[in-house]
Amino acid sequence: MAIQGADQTILRDPALFYWILFPISIVMILTGILRHYATVLMNTTPKAPSTLAESRERLALLRGVNLRNNACSVLDRESFEMRKNYMVTGFRNGAFLKDPNNRGQPPANPMTDPAGMEAMMGMLKGNMMMMIPQTLIMSWINAFFSGFVILKLPFPLTIRFKSMLQSGVMTRDLDVQWVSSLSWYFLNLMGLQSVFGFILGSDNAANQMAQQMGMANPAAMVNPLQPGQDPDKLYLNEAENLEVMEHFCILDGVEERILQNFAPAGI
Amino acid sequence: MAGPVADIREMNGSDLISALHLAQQAPAILGQVSGSGVTSSKSSETADYYARLEQLLLACLRTGDDQSAHTCLNRLSLRFGPSNERIMGLRGLYEEATAKDQSALEKCLQEYDNTLSQSPVNVPILKRRVALLRSLNRPSDAISGLIQLLDAIPTDAEAWCELADLYQSQGLASQAIFSLEEALLIAPNSWNVCMQAPFFLFLFFSFLFQIKWSLTLKCKIHSRLGELLYICASDGDASRLLGRSVQHFSRSIELCDDYLRGFYGLTLASTRMLDNDYAGVSGQFPKKTLERLKAFALLKLGEIVESRSIDDQYWASSRSELIAAKELLNRQ
Repeated sequence: MAIQGADQTILRDPALFYWILFPISIVMILTGILRHYATVLMNTTPKAPSTLAESRERLALLRGVNLRNNACSVLDRESFEMRKNYMVTGFRNGAFLKDPNNRGQPPANPMTDPAGMEAMMGMLKGNMMMMIPQTLIMSWINAFFSGFVILKLPFPLTIRFKSMLQSGVMTRDLDVQWVSSLSWYFLNLMGLQSVFGFILGSDNAANQMAQQMGMANPAAMVNPLQPGQDPDKLYLNEAENLEVMEHFCILDGVEERILQNFAPAGI
Repeated sequence: MAGPVADIREMNGSDLISALHLAQQAPAILGQVSGSGVTSSKSSETADYYARLEQLLLACLRTGDDQSAHTCLNRLSLRFGPSNERIMGLRGLYEEATAKDQSALEKCLQEYDNTLSQSPVNVPILKRRVALLRSLNRPSDAISGLIQLLDAIPTDAEAWCELADLYQSQGLASQAIFSLEEALLIAPNSWNVCMQAPFFLFLFFSFLFQIKWSLTLKCKIHSRLGELLYICASDGDASRLLGRSVQHFSRSIELCDDYLRGFYGLTLASTRMLDNDYAGVSGQFPKKTLERLKAFALLKLGEIVESRSIDDQYWASSRSELIAAKELLNRQ
């Protein structure tokens, strides 16, 4: 057991510093940048709907949500009821679906549906972009640098941090301040976000051009449906939400309100 | 370089005078590019730059500077490619604006139809088509086109507003009210909707609107809806419609408390309710409230007119509104 309060000293070769600490940090930064650009390169813009019916299928849901959220600031009771009934029956009957005949059937397998396939592919690509470099680097570090203690933090820490800072070094008694090479890799993985922000500009710097490219109407590009999701289910859900909605209107009494808030006292 | 650029961002290009100012800076902006613009490599800057170019294109078209407009268009399509939907829309706009006669416009229309048969969800082109139909004086076709568009894209507030405007021009008031309510549902606190129909008859339907969502333009659908309710209150259950009209005007004032149009409308609507003795009928407006509303609206109207008459230059774009308000004040 280590003597509490006494400083542990480990004689480290300074070369450890130059040949492990620096390489790991630099490699992490470089892969981060590479990954960023690779994502930009492989980023596919969300596919715009190709037919009017498809676009309706996507946006009808948003319309329902809009009605639910904003009705109180616009509509009086009569027109609200009218719209509510229209939306609810539409959702229930599947009037907004791309092809109402397919209703009730299990959703097409996203693996066979080309559009769903594409979206899945996009997700897959994104995940791969994270997974592959990490696996590679981790195995690289494991192969070359495992088991080194490379750094001593200048401040004390509690024992809980041991598993975070000393992975790969199986010593029970080593003070928590010491950091192993594998842990240094993990720390870099998690903590370099701000460095990337500094190097690459703010997060959306790379996305902005993509936005510009899709200069078309942004409203048309929104897709609330995830691939493989059954729009019919979402519709029924939304219909239920609409049904239980209580109507109130902020226009009621607005005239009293402005008189009270804006009019001078004399009037 | 920073000077003119900053100015342009301030302008919203929605009225003729600021559009003119903007268009007059065309040589400066277009010239500056060949020197330094392209080299500004930061993507945010170039994004800004292209947005500016688009505004400039619109302003140049409005002020008749077709040559600069053409340059803008070329730059934009060089960057984004001629098959970009928005570029296609802008090109269509340019063609329409420079069309010499009716047959050229018809040709534009045909081109739009061709494009749409290939890609049915090309929103900018869909909108241009409607605007073109309108300027060709075929409002019913325009309406059916818009309904088709809105059926597919029901979350497009500007299309709803345009539909309302079209309906109103055809005298279909209740449909127009419905459309405006839809637009309000999408943008409940909005600043929105240009009311100067003659403006966007020809040039601006879809594109200026994208600029107008910026905060600088303080027209509100609420107030527009109030106006519409006021207009169609002459028939049917006038008292209810007038009551709602008063409510919407009040709401628009609540959202923007120096909104000339809101106060103007409030004055008119409350006066009419008082004159026709609707006060008790709808139950919710006691006579006293209406009188207070009217007095308040008149007072504010006077204040606004006075303050805006002083710095006349700044409010130059809304001078006609100011004159109307003055006239109303004199009448009372």
